[in-house]
Amino acid sequence: MLSRIGRLSSAVLAAALVGTAAPALAGGTLTVAQALDPGSWDPIDTFLVDWSKVANNVYDGLIQRGPDMKLVPGLATSWKVSDDGLKIRFELRKGVTFHNGEAFDAEAVKFTFERLLGAEGAKGPQQSNYNAIERIEVIDPYTIDMVLKKPDPVLPTKLAGYGAMIVPPKYVAEKGDAWFNTHPVGTGPFMLDAYEPKVGIKLKANPNFWGGKPKLDGVDFRFIAEPGTEVAELQAGRLDIATLIPLSQIETIKGQQNLDVMSVPGPTVVVLRFNTKNGVTKDENVRKALIMAVDRETIVKEILLGQAKPIVSFQSEVSFGHDPELKPLPFDPAGAKKLLAAAKVAPGTAVQLDIRGNDATFREVAQAVAGYLQGVGLKPTVKPYEVSVLLNDIIPNGKTGEMFHTAWGGWTFDFDNTAYLMYHTGEKWNPYDSDPKLDALLEKQRSITDQAERLKLLREVGAYVANRALELPLYNLNTFVGINKRVKGFVLPGDNRYRFTDVSVD
Amino acid sequence: MTLFLIRRFAQALFVVFAVTLIVSWAVRLSGDPAVMLTQGAGSVTEQDLANIRLALGLDRPFHVQYLGFLKGLFAGDLGNSFMGGTPVTVLIAKALPATLILAVSALLVSIVLAIPLGIRAAVKRGGAEDQVIRIVSLAGLSFPNFWLALMMVLVFSILLKWLPPSGWDGPTSLILPALTAGVINTAANVRLVRTAMLETLSAQYIMVARAKGLAERVVLYKHALRNSAIPLITYVGIQFGGLVAGLVVIERVFNWPGMGSLALDAVSGRDYPVLQGVVTVFAVLIVGVNLAVDIVYGLVDPRIRTE
Repeated sequence: MLSRIGRLSSAVLAAALVGTAAPALAGGTLTVAQALDPGSWDPIDTFLVDWSKVANNVYDGLIQRGPDMKLVPGLATSWKVSDDGLKIRFELRKGVTFHNGEAFDAEAVKFTFERLLGAEGAKGPQQSNYNAIERIEVIDPYTIDMVLKKPDPVLPTKLAGYGAMIVPPKYVAEKGDAWFNTHPVGTGPFMLDAYEPKVGIKLKANPNFWGGKPKLDGVDFRFIAEPGTEVAELQAGRLDIATLIPLSQIETIKGQQNLDVMSVPGPTVVVLRFNTKNGVTKDENVRKALIMAVDRETIVKEILLGQAKPIVSFQSEVSFGHDPELKPLPFDPAGAKKLLAAAKVAPGTAVQLDIRGNDATFREVAQAVAGYLQGVGLKPTVKPYEVSVLLNDIIPNGKTGEMFHTAWGGWTFDFDNTAYLMYHTGEKWNPYDSDPKLDALLEKQRSITDQAERLKLLREVGAYVANRALELPLYNLNTFVGINKRVKGFVLPGDNRYRFTDVSVD
Repeated sequence: MTLFLIRRFAQALFVVFAVTLIVSWAVRLSGDPAVMLTQGAGSVTEQDLANIRLALGLDRPFHVQYLGFLKGLFAGDLGNSFMGGTPVTVLIAKALPATLILAVSALLVSIVLAIPLGIRAAVKRGGAEDQVIRIVSLAGLSFPNFWLALMMVLVFSILLKWLPPSGWDGPTSLILPALTAGVINTAANVRLVRTAMLETLSAQYIMVARAKGLAERVVLYKHALRNSAIPLITYVGIQFGGLVAGLVVIERVFNWPGMGSLALDAVSGRDYPVLQGVVTVFAVLIVGVNLAVDIVYGLVDPRIRTE
């Protein structure tokens, strides 16, 4: 009873603090399934979407990005980039405390970034995304300057997630790293209730959350690696949100009265890139012919059951750098045959497609592509590789066939992340091509922070690559989840970084 | 006898050692954990990967890593998971009991089903009942276990809503996975019981028991079954290892927090220490059971220990 009163009074207090008049109703618990247990909840340890599904509720960044992909204030109420792009001044939010009661201030920001950029951060995969930052200067307890080594136009977005989540300095120092891995403390709307490795993690509402107390009492995450099992749990009414469901089960889920499927464009884009150095695909016109031979609309409709959208450049519609004006080459098998004949490619010429062997859906897509290529007189073969072999050896060492499968998904939704690594000379993912003009465009957009100018440059990159036909653009996969209709107020973010502050259950 | 024990023990130790060596070596051919850890990252440089390998101790030569593992093994330390740094012993301490509970339950299910069915088939040898039991058990043998698991979930969890489809929410959660794993083993056991019973039933003492006017139930369960049970018990012992291995799929479908799920996660994440740990524990278990059996045989049968 005592604890009940305590909880009630703190809820009232929280409501009073943020000035909302909403009555405190019984919130209930939301149950969510995800495939993986990242093992550590420390922001600098992992780079898994399944970390973010949970941790985005526990931690805050200086900046936040909502489901609409717009950047909004988080633990910083405002920020200003200096004219030379080498300094960002942040005004910090006052009156915020971590879940352990520790106060949030400039020292916490300084500690977070020194940890991320120091020896501790070097052990994990997060550091390199933030190495444009040189140091944090504390101006006063609620003002900091982030001093940069070089301009990084994508940095504000990166500050909204993953390694840049603000951690409590005293807690981490006192309890140590191993403890922090399994007992995360942040400033977010939910705090740790119980974590059972490989089974699940339970969060409870943070009554003192600076953005107002969440409507739910708690969120119960369960780790379920088998997609079919997630669907079964959803159908049995024991899950509210299933985040890993097979394409083939979408109609089954929709057919059940109390369930629905939510779907939005996701970060993953898929292309077949060309070997521009060897074989018939050395010829730009042959590459164009191969693109024209494949009906991507039909592939999306029939194999991906509409859960994707054809793309023109190697990015999704929501990506910064997308150009709605850029038009794809048409599906035109007759035109493709003419181009092939003009390029003196004999009928029956072999074309090899290297793909990731573990991706069952893409295997079907590759078979369909092979079918279309056969339709224009070529002799395609599909060669599946073990993923790590393909990614660590075949592609970087330039040992692919004429075409190779590349799936890319940057959570930042900024074309720079993809374009630079795919097209710049000497990059690991670009074993074949070297184009000084493309290099110059890519370098230039990285050096400036004027976003309008960057957008122009990135669109130029997209158009230039399409014109040179460096890849066969396929599609942008949707992010989709199965959801129980009792869940109210949930907006599915394309990047799968959930935040359940405003969600409720009936 | 002492010499026999020492020899057997040395052999067992060698097998465990060989298994850990092969697994540790083979798993390192399968892919780079640093790459797996950074899969979601945008711009990973070779330097980042090198840093991660350094932190995980993967920059050291194989023999150094392996000797480190062996040294830890003797101290009861299997290292820490690459994903999050949880000690492997902690993960196994949670997963092993879950797997053992499931395995024992599945065995019980299988025995409880196989004995009456096998006896029935033997008694009605050649009759309609015998045919049905034999055909059904043949079908049971041929079921892929994941398919049976999905069907069980569909019927008992989704249509009837009697049982939870996965996870661990108390004893009711045990029923579906134990039934699924049990039913698959039952098929073989039914045939075993049937054959053993047929042999026993033709023995003279059964004829005597019947001639005494004992009830058929007493003849079958008291006299015949006891004698037919010996091959069943031996076979069940052998089955145990295979059963535990087969549980990997069952655990995955039912999201059972056991060793199989742990091993699968470790394989897909290239989590070397966890995989090494799981395999070592299984090797010790299976070799240990075999060693125990050998010793018992040796105690019982002098010919074995002097061979």
